Amino acid sequence: MDPRQRPLLRRRLEVLRAFTWSLVAVLILVYALLQIVRHAEFKQIAMQQAVKVRPIAAPRGLVLDRSGQRLVDNRRALHLVIQREDLPSKPEVMSQLAAALELDPAALARKIQSYRLAGKGRPLVLKENLDEAGIAVAERVRSRFPFLSVEVAPRRVYLGDELAGHILGYVGEVDEPLMKAKPDLFHLGETIGKEGFEASGNDKLKGVDGQKRILVDQLGTEVANFGQVDATAGRSIYLTLDAGLQKIAQEAMGEEAGAVVVLDLRDGGVLAMYSSPSYDPNLFLNRLSQDMVDKYLANNLTRPMVNRPIQGIYAPGSTFKLLIALAALEKGIATPQTAIFCGGKKNYYGRDFRCDKASGHGTLSMVQAIAQSCDVYFYELASRLDIDDIHATAEKYGLTERTGIDLPQEKRTRIPSRAWKKKAAPRDPKWYAGETISVGIGQGAVGVTPIGLARFYALLATKGKLLTPHLFYGFRNDQSNQLEAAAYPPPKDTPLDPKHWATLDEGLAEVVQNGTAAANPFIREIAKLVPFSGKTGTAQVATFVDKAHYARQAKFLKDHALFAGYAPRDKPQIAYAVVVENAGFGSTAAAPVAAKLVKYWFVDRLKNPLPPPRGKLVDPFLPPPAPAVPE
Amino acid sequence: MKERFRALDKRLLWVLLMLIALGTLTLYSAGRNTSQANIWLKQSLWNGLGLGLILLLATTDPRRLFRYSFPAYLLGLLALMAVLVVGKKIGGSTRWFVIAGQTFQPSELMKWVTLLYLSQRLGSRPAETVGRLELLGAVGLVVFPMLLIQRQPDLGMALSFLPILLIIPLMKGLKARWIIALILFISVGGFTAWKFVLKPYQKQRVMIFLDPSSDLQGKGYQVNQSRIAIGSGGLIGKGFTSGSQTQLNFLPVKTTDFAFSVWAEERGFIGVLLALGLFGLLLDRIIDAARAAHTNAEAYFCAGAAGIFALHLLVNVGMVAGALPNKGMVLPFFSAGGSSTLSFFLALGLIMGSLHRSRVK
Repeated sequence: MDPRQRPLLRRRLEVLRAFTWSLVAVLILVYALLQIVRHAEFKQIAMQQAVKVRPIAAPRGLVLDRSGQRLVDNRRALHLVIQREDLPSKPEVMSQLAAALELDPAALARKIQSYRLAGKGRPLVLKENLDEAGIAVAERVRSRFPFLSVEVAPRRVYLGDELAGHILGYVGEVDEPLMKAKPDLFHLGETIGKEGFEASGNDKLKGVDGQKRILVDQLGTEVANFGQVDATAGRSIYLTLDAGLQKIAQEAMGEEAGAVVVLDLRDGGVLAMYSSPSYDPNLFLNRLSQDMVDKYLANNLTRPMVNRPIQGIYAPGSTFKLLIALAALEKGIATPQTAIFCGGKKNYYGRDFRCDKASGHGTLSMVQAIAQSCDVYFYELASRLDIDDIHATAEKYGLTERTGIDLPQEKRTRIPSRAWKKKAAPRDPKWYAGETISVGIGQGAVGVTPIGLARFYALLATKGKLLTPHLFYGFRNDQSNQLEAAAYPPPKDTPLDPKHWATLDEGLAEVVQNGTAAANPFIREIAKLVPFSGKTGTAQVATFVDKAHYARQAKFLKDHALFAGYAPRDKPQIAYAVVVENAGFGSTAAAPVAAKLVKYWFVDRLKNPLPPPRGKLVDPFLPPPAPAVPE
Repeated sequence: MKERFRALDKRLLWVLLMLIALGTLTLYSAGRNTSQANIWLKQSLWNGLGLGLILLLATTDPRRLFRYSFPAYLLGLLALMAVLVVGKKIGGSTRWFVIAGQTFQPSELMKWVTLLYLSQRLGSRPAETVGRLELLGAVGLVVFPMLLIQRQPDLGMALSFLPILLIIPLMKGLKARWIIALILFISVGGFTAWKFVLKPYQKQRVMIFLDPSSDLQGKGYQVNQSRIAIGSGGLIGKGFTSGSQTQLNFLPVKTTDFAFSVWAEERGFIGVLLALGLFGLLLDRIIDAARAAHTNAEAYFCAGAAGIFALHLLVNVGMVAGALPNKGMVLPFFSAGGSSTLSFFLALGLIMGSLHRSRVK
């Protein structure tokens, strides 16, 4: 040991000692900063990544027909989702994810972006309704992207495929605009009704989502449940619809386009409402599939997405003659006994108006004119009426308003008037008397919805009661599984004179007994079983020089066939309106459809009810046996 | 045997036993409910072996070990070369020998062998007789194994050789203000360059150049989770085996590199104070040993050991708090691992021996 060096070395070691202690001090400061100054911040982050609130989707209520047959069912479906708090932030992770899931990266980025911007809500669904192969793919992808999870959620199944597509509608994820408009009511990723009763009855059908607070580990696996609020399933709903009658309507329409409406005269309940061609709501549950686009949306001339009974505006043709007769009786310009001569045509204001029967009907009373559907008789009545009288009568009997059916986007019936013309044709606002003549036989500017027409005939059947057609029958009592019928919209009374009514009623009965519809042997056969009433109508789509010319025309230029009425004649229970597009005469194309409905409702239904719609029935209120693999 | 116990320096022993206890508790909590549930037992075995080693070395004259330091150094160099050829590749680097199913990392031991050899080489004569060329040679003796280790690659380990060079200022002196100036220059200059001059991709390039296996994104995630663990621990911690970051596996590699975060999360700032205080006392006692040492060689060894322990402390504890770049350097007594534990205890045994000799005289 070199004694001269000792003090030097010791001093140097003291420097080292000071240095090590200051190092310890610096580390303590670093930890004090993290653990004391920034503690709250880190504590929150630690909580956020370990404690998650996950929503539990509530199943929507089932939709049943009036006898309890399921029209809409719930199944369990598996979706591949990302929980809100696990959204990846790095663009390269997103593009890798898109590649792994075979999604369009740009679309995925947009989706994530818009999802991120919106408020709280359900997880972001990347792939929905996974089938077996889809689950395998999802699990594989999940091993690389642990922030993904597979979620079990209720899924809608529409039984009967196209049976009642327009009525039931379908569900989907809430749109951004709607969500932004009503942020309190809707949250992101929520399933809401998009069309049909699913949309209009959304508030009735939807349940209350539950939620659970869970502890998750780094892989997102649930480690502990801190408690949950269970989802409350939506209540199941009975519709006034009768699945059997609906089926008859579907079969009777076949490949023809058109609309069928059958109303219950007791309360205005819709017993059948078929829009042809129909659509299968099941196809709308997944994101636009190419099949669906081809079938329903891409330039389809038959426009299957239009709900014809409430959105189709048709010239009522001769079915409108009842309103003209009523207007004439009420105005006092004609009586039931008023006799008018039909020579096949008549000249008004310098123009020939032809009757359908070129040889002429001869002299007819009002009842005969209705039964034979004589055009000249009603030209004459119209010529004695003012267009505003016709409009006023229509208004009095509810034909100018929407029926108020509980379905979205009902169109308004169009009954012309002077005021209407001013608005509709500002360049030529004057109403010409000649136009009134056409209106007399339900042509020209008149346009009605089948539901509006059916409601008018229901008014005739009930001697003046104005019903509100509706589909909501009541909720299902979850204990007894029985219908709890809801109050229906009360019918309004109208001042329909019983004497006037009697004339119209007789005329409508005559149509089937001896009039335009009686020529059809099938109609005569049914009328023998159930005496029913109705008025045929043939609405021109285009004008032709002669019948030979007409026969050569393309299908879409042919006349629309109509039939509207009620049954049975003496104690009416149902009213109906049938429109068959481009099918020719009302008596041959539309009246048989009505006759089939009448035969089913009053004869066959009581003998042997139809089997239930296809599909396995699963009660969403009971736990399903195993995770269902969607068909 | 009794003799041997009496030979132990009680102050150093208590600090040691406390740190071992803290580390064992940490590993118990970290391994809980994972595939490493028994890691605390395994580590206790290493700690036991290490304590035995200390007991053995406490009564051994350090000079007997210094005698073997040159052949040991040569053997160490051979081992470092051999591991590059026949070593086991784990996670992109070749650092380990596999002997009877047990991995052994030669670089851990080599660090202490190099320190031992250099202390002996430079401390066997009066300091002023050591010329500049010889000092340069000594630097070369440290840098050569560092380069071999960087070939593995293992930057953290290579850097942990640097405190050995502390011997030189101890010998030749370095005005205190020079040291301070150097530290300031390196820290301020390095910090400024890192924060303001270098662009992110340049930093990444530097990191990748220094350590090709580094994955900034992956490690960024790790450090972030570690900071959350530490910060959320707060003043008193979440309680033993109750740290959410630890127990729910948000905290990565929690039995080795990030073991200190487990302690910080579950025992809070108070626990951190305790652990850092114990480390401070450990370093303090090692410096005491250097002061009291009979020979320069022993003093150099103890001072170098203090430097190595301090560097491990700084880099590991600083890194898990996100205050230093992510360089894998284990924390003595906390991080599980056989090679490093035995190596640390070997050094502590030598220090014990030196302390004993200085007392007995």
